[in-house]
Amino acid sequence: MSESFGHLISPLVGLSANVVIQVAGFRFHSRLSMLKSIFLGFAAGFVVVVALDTFFFFTAQPLAWTFVVGIILANILTYFALGYGYFHFINLGETARRVRILREIYDSPSGLSIDEILARYNGKAILQYRMDRLLGNGQVILDQEKYKIGNPSMLYITKIILFLKLIILGKKSEFE
Amino acid sequence: MNVFLSGLFLLLLAFLIHLVVWKIRLPKRQTPALLWVFFDTYFFAILFLELILPAQYHSSLLPQNFLEYVHVFLFFTSFTLAYIITYSALEVDSPSLLIVKRIADAGPNGLDKDLLSSQLSDDILITPRIHDLFRDKMAVWKGGKIHLTSKGKWFVRIFIAYRMLLNAQWGG
Repeated sequence: MSESFGHLISPLVGLSANVVIQVAGFRFHSRLSMLKSIFLGFAAGFVVVVALDTFFFFTAQPLAWTFVVGIILANILTYFALGYGYFHFINLGETARRVRILREIYDSPSGLSIDEILARYNGKAILQYRMDRLLGNGQVILDQEKYKIGNPSMLYITKIILFLKLIILGKKSEFE
Repeated sequence: MNVFLSGLFLLLLAFLIHLVVWKIRLPKRQTPALLWVFFDTYFFAILFLELILPAQYHSSLLPQNFLEYVHVFLFFTSFTLAYIITYSALEVDSPSLLIVKRIADAGPNGLDKDLLSSQLSDDILITPRIHDLFRDKMAVWKGGKIHLTSKGKWFVRIFIAYRMLLNAQWGG
């Protein structure tokens, strides 16, 4: 009963399949949104991990069930963690303020002052972009010039993040 | 089960040590500190267990060969990186979180549209992120302007190349 190289690399092959399918899907299929391409890539990678692990188990010598279960659990969870990381990498390019500010400075070889950065990218633009998304998803509603919570899914996520901040950082905000 | 159980044990141990260290003192540069805590825990815990664990328990609790050690390392690293990415969302206040929190705090009567705009100014949403670039050595002041360091340039090039590959627009 021993570990094989195939079992070791299956989550990495799964991640590679995920990236290739996601990029190809988004780039060449105009009707596929970013989020749908992420789901498609993730599902494709998962199928690859399961198929590879199954193949390596059937071609290996008979194995104890605890060994098989352990490898399957480890590989599926490793693939989930890698897929989660890839999703956040994409999300950083979509929404991270630091990345956006870096790009503005990168595009200006002579550098930028703070005022020049704010002329290109500012709180008003961020607020507009995020409000459009929250209103579009129905997570916030606009009622007589007042914002109210609509679908509470984002509120639940916010509460979970605030709780985790309190447990790990000991505070609810970076400004405390 | 060795790969799964060893990996899980090492992750839980690293997470507990991270919580204890953070309670004692919050590091100034939290992401590098997290990497140190997690990977130091991994290497020292493996070494410690190899040395002190009686031989009869090795086969059921520790990886058995080089490939299994690499497998545990892959499992551990993938979760460590996933946690560090999640942590970056905890470390700073995301605009969506700030918006939803302020609207929820306003109660059932809602939050005035203009009041939200005035509360979430550049000082809250942008300036702290510019300071992060200096702290993380991605930008420097030169002649009254902000310039990127080599680290900042390489970091942003990864995203520029990826967005080009996707042929995607930049978000906000």
